[in-house]
Amino acid sequence: MLVTIRQLEVKYGSQTALRIDTPVSFEKGERIGIIGSNGAGKSTLIKALLGLIPYRGRVITNLKPEQMAVHMQFNEYVTTMSVKYIMETILDTKIAKNKELQELISFFEFESCLPKRFNALSGGQKQKFTIIMVMFQKAELTFYDEVTSGLDFETRQRLTEKLSQWYRDKEDTLVVVSHYYEELEQLASKLLILDKGRVIAFGEKQRLFRKYCGKVVLIMENNDKNRALSRNFPTLKSPEHLIALSCEDEAQEWKAMKALAENNVNFKRSNSDIEIMFMNARERFYAQQKVSSER
Amino acid sequence: MKKCSLSMVLYELRNINGNLMPHFFGIVFPNLMCLLIAQTVGSEMTEEMRREAVTSIMLTMTLVIPMAIMLIGYGALYALEIEKGIPLRMRLYGFGEKCEVPAKIAAHFILMTAALLIFGGFQAVVMKVQKPSAFALICLVVSLYLIGGIFLVIAHALANILKKFSLTFGVVMCLYFCMMILTGMMGMRTEQLPMALQKVARALPMTYVSNDFIDFWQSGSYNFMPFVQSFIFMGAIAGILLFLSGIRDG
Repeated sequence: MLVTIRQLEVKYGSQTALRIDTPVSFEKGERIGIIGSNGAGKSTLIKALLGLIPYRGRVITNLKPEQMAVHMQFNEYVTTMSVKYIMETILDTKIAKNKELQELISFFEFESCLPKRFNALSGGQKQKFTIIMVMFQKAELTFYDEVTSGLDFETRQRLTEKLSQWYRDKEDTLVVVSHYYEELEQLASKLLILDKGRVIAFGEKQRLFRKYCGKVVLIMENNDKNRALSRNFPTLKSPEHLIALSCEDEAQEWKAMKALAENNVNFKRSNSDIEIMFMNARERFYAQQKVSSER
Repeated sequence: MKKCSLSMVLYELRNINGNLMPHFFGIVFPNLMCLLIAQTVGSEMTEEMRREAVTSIMLTMTLVIPMAIMLIGYGALYALEIEKGIPLRMRLYGFGEKCEVPAKIAAHFILMTAALLIFGGFQAVVMKVQKPSAFALICLVVSLYLIGGIFLVIAHALANILKKFSLTFGVVMCLYFCMMILTGMMGMRTEQLPMALQKVARALPMTYVSNDFIDFWQSGSYNFMPFVQSFIFMGAIAGILLFLSGIRDG
């Protein structure tokens, strides 16, 4: 066990920002995605794990702070020198003499940015700069907190693809916080779903999908015709512009697909849609809370 | 956490050199001011009297160096970094306060030393100031480094308390100009100030350097007690501010 969180509580004034009652453990080599809306407690959890904010409860780990690397949501550096010097000082090496670092810089196509000052870099280049240094640290546990936030769609996709490629055959333990579901689909194998400072669900992505959505979901546009058609099938909570049909097994899936095909409905099939899984996990959590409070 | 290293000091030197404000206020400004003020010294004076007057101007202007580099330079630089969250980012890379702050201090003292050497060379060669006695020179150098150290503590504490560049810069600039007026650096002698302000001025070591050091520059004795007391007073102020900044940081 790399890290175990027990009975963790973080308060900002009188407000509870995060409360974890059931133990949560991160194991070596796992890729954990932390997902939740704004104010869910995602960044608070990372800050607590890094010891940057006071908390009650226990974070059990043998890791020392230097064995953890973190890409914060906002990473700022001095603007009085080129990023090359900042990188060489922080990583305590010379780029010209370090093959491994050269490889990383080249992997992220960052060579032309080295002579520039940090304030002259674009949003994507700024993120790459921190990512390179975080990766080079080769820490036992690496946190990426909203690594692509504020970037345009294309840069976001390219950066996520790069991260995914880099870690593909490696055994690093990653904790990735993101608002973007597609990012977590690529980078995470386990999910920790947070909402309003509470843990909604934690586990393997596939297992959680199965638990909250079924075997497969069929997703189609939300219109009158599709709404009428979906009445014959179990539906899931989904974004307002979509309808999601839940299929528990192959027979149900075929039946639904046949009906959709016969009615000439365009649909998307998914067995890993994190957005729909997140919405249903949240709904079920609050429904259970309501039932237990009524008892 | 990493320890302070030479590469960290070099990084901080690059950091200082990336912003030319301390260089202007700490190197160009005092030399320029000496040159300009010296031009106003009466031509009817004998050469010896003129040199004494220029030496007195030099002693006053030397004080600008620690004030500009340590109080304004360090204060502005560190406050800007705090505002941007750079110390936290560096801490997450393993460069804690115990590594970064000593490197910053060392870099600022290196710059101050360079500024003093340039100033000293300029005064000796161009301004032809009176040659000091070894004792007076040591007193001046030690005083300047002590004043620099105290200002650095004050600047560090203010940046930590105020957390914002604009606020810190505003406060250190106010302090800078107030101290320049009080200690006779703006041309008005301390004795010409209202009595209440004279008392405040006497609590600042710069007043003694500016007004009294000329009396024993080449020879003579001096009662150092009020000067030492002013150091204790200013050191205590710096200590209190540092303590308050520690409380602010939790």
